[in-house]
Amino acid sequence: MPSGTAAGPATLIPFAPDAPTLERALAILAQDGSVSPADAVRRREALALFAALPAPGARPRRGWRHDYDKLTFDDLVWTTGRRRQPAVGPSVTDPDDEPDLPALATENAGGLFHLGATLLEPDVPSAADSRVVVLPLGDASRPHPELVARTLYEIADWRADRFSALATAFENCGAFVYVPDGVVVDAPIQLVWANTAARNEAVFPHVLVVLGEGARATVIERHVGDGDPFICGVVEVHAGERAQLDYVTVQQAGEGARVFFRRTARCARDAEVRWNLAELGGALARTVLDTQLGAVGGRAETAALFFTTGFAHVDLTTGTEHVVGPTTSNTAVRSAANDRGQGRYVGNIVIRPHAHGSDATLRDDALLLSAHAHIDAVPALEIASNDVKAFHGATVGSLDEDALFYVSSRGIARSEALRMITLGFFEPVITRFPGEALRDEIRTALDAKIDAATETA
Amino acid sequence: MSARGLVTRDLRVAVQGNEILKGIDLTVEPGQVHALMGPNGSGKSTLAFTIAGHPGYDVTSGSVTLDGEELLGLAPDKRARAGVFLSFQYPAAIPGVSVANFLRSARQAVRSGDLSPAKFRQLVFEKLDTLDMDPAFLGRYVNDGFSGGEKKRLEMLQMAIIAPKYAILDETDSGLDVDALQAVGHAATSLRESEDGRNMGFLVITHYPRILRYLPADVVHVMIDGSIAKTGGPDLAERIEREGYDVIREEVATARA
Ligand SMILES: Nc1ncnc2c1ncn2[C@@H]1O[C@H](COP(=O)(O)OP(=O)(O)OP(=O)(O)O)[C@@H](O)[C@H]1O
Ligand SMILES: [Mg+2]
Repeated sequence: MPSGTAAGPATLIPFAPDAPTLERALAILAQDGSVSPADAVRRREALALFAALPAPGARPRRGWRHDYDKLTFDDLVWTTGRRRQPAVGPSVTDPDDEPDLPALATENAGGLFHLGATLLEPDVPSAADSRVVVLPLGDASRPHPELVARTLYEIADWRADRFSALATAFENCGAFVYVPDGVVVDAPIQLVWANTAARNEAVFPHVLVVLGEGARATVIERHVGDGDPFICGVVEVHAGERAQLDYVTVQQAGEGARVFFRRTARCARDAEVRWNLAELGGALARTVLDTQLGAVGGRAETAALFFTTGFAHVDLTTGTEHVVGPTTSNTAVRSAANDRGQGRYVGNIVIRPHAHGSDATLRDDALLLSAHAHIDAVPALEIASNDVKAFHGATVGSLDEDALFYVSSRGIARSEALRMITLGFFEPVITRFPGEALRDEIRTALDAKIDAATETA
Repeated sequence: MSARGLVTRDLRVAVQGNEILKGIDLTVEPGQVHALMGPNGSGKSTLAFTIAGHPGYDVTSGSVTLDGEELLGLAPDKRARAGVFLSFQYPAAIPGVSVANFLRSARQAVRSGDLSPAKFRQLVFEKLDTLDMDPAFLGRYVNDGFSGGEKKRLEMLQMAIIAPKYAILDETDSGLDVDALQAVGHAATSLRESEDGRNMGFLVITHYPRILRYLPADVVHVMIDGSIAKTGGPDLAERIEREGYDVIREEVATARA
């Protein structure tokens, strides 16, 4: 195999989650000089763990289409994301219905853009604000050796579940976002992964976000395109004292895509992390959002929504751990399923013995739009401290016929009424996303999904 | 050509197999106000829902026409576009949908975008003022967390903005304080004085004559047990207020005997 220059074509290998494939991957990474002996050891260990660990979560109920033991990896290719590719020429995604990557890059002035695992180089700086560091994760250790050594895998436990292990074994792209002490950035930092139907990749991103004391930023992670990739990633967030981070994920991967992520954050004293998650694409999406409130005044806000249509399946777990008190968490999840869409939401809140004065609120509401749709909600509160406030509420229901009639009686056609009420159902979570542009984008995406659903109905 | 007006002929309606309306004949002509009174459970809301097209009510015979057009068989939204408006006794909440959006959608649906956004805005603020409503309501979700009186005011705001041909007010006056009743009354009178509402017909379902001070009834009907037991002039409403429904029941029984 020719080793190629930094801009040369990358080597593609068929992907399988096995040792021979990992050895080939390690050889390719070695040619780029981007794998240390320690990395190689960790990757091999992680792969062994992937094979050994049980599938996550409770055993699927009958009829569930997300049996993780039966995942297949046919026709996927793996490539190192270390070879870059200029983002010029034809749009990497269908311009008619998907955001155009270079356009995204200029409009939002900053971020990292990938096609599959490969980093694109649009003609804009990765960070609009020169005080902010946005680098491919593989390039981060050289300029920031101590910071990376101190934070990498410090929070994201790659042993936590088999998909974190798999992501660690085959990691082939990623981002390092560092906002130094006191720096407040307004423009969102975008991390985009696009996949085209031209090739189905196995993409393993690793995102590391570090906010210094009092730093504030918004990171938007996006998955777009009409390809059917297997994306399996790890995100870890360190929020320093008094830091505030909005971490947004807009998952609009192709219809056949499978998207697995574990995102973990830790809040230092008085730090606040706001997770905003919109799962709108893919055939199977599994997400874990974990927040550790390990210092006084820490705050975790989680706003998540998903809408499964067709045969799609979404599996979402949020976990908030109040280690000390007072700390605060507020979790709101809204989900809807149409056609034969399925979903599961597991909401865990743990309040440890020393978390006195903590306040935890969890609320999830699910809307079933067809007789064959199904959503399970599994909230779990574990409270080991008294003098805390914990609230949890959950509903699963179908469309309110009285509301439908009421809207129709104002001249609005039933299909429009249905759209209005369904969009309205998501609104309390949408309003928690940062920025009107982003909120409108989510509304538009949901609207398109309702359209598609009513067309097939 | 059938008569102008909102007309029911021998309307029979069943709910889950039980006949609730037993042959209702009503004609509300353009510009007229008809009051419909009657004890609880007599079928007044059933009539209102049936005219508006609620899917839970089975029409077993008869017809409902609006200026000659048959409404039965039309979906509720089509009936609204034909010109019927129902002010609900218990309006539903639409969480996540702002009043402003809802009003715009409703006006657009019924009158297919006849107003520019600026004109529409002006209309909304005018009507808010008539109803003595805080413009902050525009940003709230439709009926979500509204008090009973606020819900009724919002019904009237919608009526004023849609300016339908015929409005059915199902106990819009119930549960209102004096000020709210006055605001609702003003909304109706100012609509009737406006270009849009000059020929509006009203079917006012009520238990009290007080709303008829603002909407003077041309005709008063009393519904008992799914039939119109008596029809008369404005004095009939006052009489019921004084004497109750038993007197009417007795009269009907004697007349039949
Ligand atoms: N969906 C339904 N299912 C069963 N019964 C119904 C239904 N709707 C109406 N009814 C019955 O029909 C009868 C008439 O009810 P309706 O609501 O029309 O009365 P109303 O005259 O409006 O009374 P009120 O003055 O209390 O508002 C009642 O006996 C009621 O229980
Ligand atoms: Mg009633």
